[in-house]
Amino acid sequence: MPGKWDWLKDEIGFSNLLTGGRMIFKVVQGKLSADDLTKCALCPNMCRHACPVSIVEGRETTSPAGKARIALMIREGRLELNLDNLEPLYTCLGCDLCTLYCPFEFSVADLIRPVKEEAVSRGVVFEEFRKVFENLETSGDIYGNADSGADGSGKVLYFRGCTVRNERPELAEKTLTLLDKLGYEAFTISETCCGLPAYNLGNTELFKKVAKRTAEKLNATGAELIVTSCPSCAYTFRVLYPKYGIKLKPQVLHITELLGEVIGGLKLKGAGTVTYHNPCRLAMHLGRRGLLKSLLENVEGLEIREPRRELFCCGHGGSAVSRLKPELAKEIAAERREQLRDGAARVVTACPSCELALNGDGLEVLDIVEFLLEMMEE
Amino acid sequence: MTLTFDEVLKRPKRGSVDEAIAELKNLLGDKVSTKPADLFSYSHDYWLITFHWLLKGKVPALPDAVVFPESEEDVVNAVRVAHEKGVPLYPYGGGSGVLGGTVPEYGGIVVDLKRLRDLRLYEDDLMVEAGAGVNGYYIEEYLNRRGYTLGHFPQSLYPSTVGGWVATKAIGQFSTRYGGIEDMVLGLRAVIPPGKLIELKPHPRTATGPDLRKLFVGSEGIFGIVTRVWLKVRPYPEERFLLSFASESLEEALDSVRRILHRGARPAVVRIYDRVETKRHFYKFEELYGKIGTVIIVEGDSRLARAEKEIVEREFKGVPAGEEPVRHWLETRFNVKEISEFAPIGVVIDTIEVAVNWSRAAELYENVIRAMKSVKGTLMASAHASHFYDQGVCFYFTFAGVPPRGRSAGEFYNAVWDAAMRATLDSGGTISHHHGIGRHRRGWLAEELGDAYEVLRKVKLAIDEKDVMNPGNMVM
Repeated sequence: MPGKWDWLKDEIGFSNLLTGGRMIFKVVQGKLSADDLTKCALCPNMCRHACPVSIVEGRETTSPAGKARIALMIREGRLELNLDNLEPLYTCLGCDLCTLYCPFEFSVADLIRPVKEEAVSRGVVFEEFRKVFENLETSGDIYGNADSGADGSGKVLYFRGCTVRNERPELAEKTLTLLDKLGYEAFTISETCCGLPAYNLGNTELFKKVAKRTAEKLNATGAELIVTSCPSCAYTFRVLYPKYGIKLKPQVLHITELLGEVIGGLKLKGAGTVTYHNPCRLAMHLGRRGLLKSLLENVEGLEIREPRRELFCCGHGGSAVSRLKPELAKEIAAERREQLRDGAARVVTACPSCELALNGDGLEVLDIVEFLLEMMEE
Repeated sequence: MTLTFDEVLKRPKRGSVDEAIAELKNLLGDKVSTKPADLFSYSHDYWLITFHWLLKGKVPALPDAVVFPESEEDVVNAVRVAHEKGVPLYPYGGGSGVLGGTVPEYGGIVVDLKRLRDLRLYEDDLMVEAGAGVNGYYIEEYLNRRGYTLGHFPQSLYPSTVGGWVATKAIGQFSTRYGGIEDMVLGLRAVIPPGKLIELKPHPRTATGPDLRKLFVGSEGIFGIVTRVWLKVRPYPEERFLLSFASESLEEALDSVRRILHRGARPAVVRIYDRVETKRHFYKFEELYGKIGTVIIVEGDSRLARAEKEIVEREFKGVPAGEEPVRHWLETRFNVKEISEFAPIGVVIDTIEVAVNWSRAAELYENVIRAMKSVKGTLMASAHASHFYDQGVCFYFTFAGVPPRGRSAGEFYNAVWDAAMRATLDSGGTISHHHGIGRHRRGWLAEELGDAYEVLRKVKLAIDEKDVMNPGNMVM
């Protein structure tokens, strides 16, 4: 079978090897390549339709390729590294939906990260982020509320995460109840943040510091398994910690992953119609795209409707947008609500941030744990 | 301004720009931006040569402000202020135009319409109403969920907007059945100088004089700003057939399609690739390699589609190559990556689309390929035929090359384009089929239009007497 580039060899021929043809052959042989940020910057935005920011804000500057172009210009010294020019780069949810349509499978968030890191290292930081950094440094919690809870012990540690602890403590209770019903004697500890907010905002040094502190504490519990309600925490523990050489001894599962292993043995009955919202971290970053839906399929008598779009960020991922441009985050959530409403008025999700962002305005959004508990009771 | 580009090809400012911006900020508040990052972002569209400039630290132009209207009233205000102050105004959709149509050549104000994105379907009338800023993928997804399709799939479907399609007279890959955007526009609203919102209602047909709707289709923003459109929709196709063929010659494949169309069949997709492009796109399919490859999609109502499939199979003189090549095409048709891979190392690539009647189709193909290859530095030139009509065909040429020593990327680029445009005109073709004119092609428009060029110029100035609407685009 002919190779991918044989046509080019036939067309260009040896006579052109002494001229420009040599460069082209180097490219096809993989010996010459532009860097990824440049490649992204030269794209006509073929992933624009997947980017919630781009669809809702509609500003060329914050389109995926637009962000890459700004980052490239800053990197090349043609745009100054200042807050005005950094703002488009922080108008990225980090949802990585762009990767789904990119022929190179680029993550724009990853491509522009070095510019954010450079900005933080040079002290060019938005006021809105300074407070986050300060909270993480001092209290180990993004809200600045140090966890004063007691440290339990056992084999299964339930890690609540900053958002659950501060905004949805009742979900923590329900998750512990469900774990108990499943036969896991889960315990909690006085937590510190996984560090992801610092990472998202480009403060990689702080991320590493917070992550090391948290990993040490988690390792010291002697737990064999960590279960979280927050897909961001699970992603950070499983993907980012190893990437930065931070060792976490216990296995880590998001609650949906644990449920995926045991749900077949549960008796679940329901009625009515639900749709679901796939959290980006779970679907994209942990690669569990079909998991939430498959959990719902175990509920007898339940009608599951597909959302208009399978994947669309709630607007609150990545921390930066909701802090820097809260109105835009709300608009994106409203857009997602509209898409979900096409499916049903009841929505099941599996991320506390998504749940908080999407609930309301005629839509009832529940965490998978709450929903399954309800189905068990019926 | 903190830009440090070493060369900005910006002309002297026209009109009272600072006054206009101040007034717009007063009227529209934070819907007006003068931030450097925004100005830079609207300094270009997808005119490929500008990316070579960009990589060398040059931008083609910079606007003085960008406006993000959220209503037609905002657009009226923008046009009114621009007209009063004599300041250039450039409408902006998805920025995927490839000829510099939205490059703010004279500075001034860019109007990004992407926040006008409301949608409404009228099922009884088989019609959809859309704000100019509605994203291409969005409108199709919206219609599909309700059992309809627009049938409009340009390669820019994902990044482009409905308003951009109308303004640039776009066409989609399924055009042989569904037509170009001009066949879908039932009505539209536009804001014209001195700041007036006009509406051309979406009637099924109207004999109220010349078709003013058509004046705006393909107008590229030189008359006004399209804010809302009504488009025909179709029921989502009930059945779809995928067919492909290997032919020994381009003439044989072209002749086959001509016969199919003349019998009245209307496949949605027909694409005939020359030998180079068949090798390039279908290298995995041995039955096509080294041949002229054709992919065809027939779709629609089941019974009609079956009849059309039968006509295609009977009339196409070539070896059937099955469904897989078409599936491959469907899967890869939006994979745009060549520019990203080759432009940064100095390879100049571009595409040129022209149209010609059947009687001179093969001749034009040969002449344009020969002309492009005759330019020193050209390394490859190829084509496929991508849109078909009873009367003729659109050829979509691709060239790539490296400027010879002593010649800039821009000079090489212009030389290849000159050769291709000259060969097209000499072969009886039209210089653009669907990319439009923009700033790059305007030099050839007068010859194409002859005396009609002056008519176009006069119409432009009759509507826009101060020449504030996208000045320098299409007509000078």
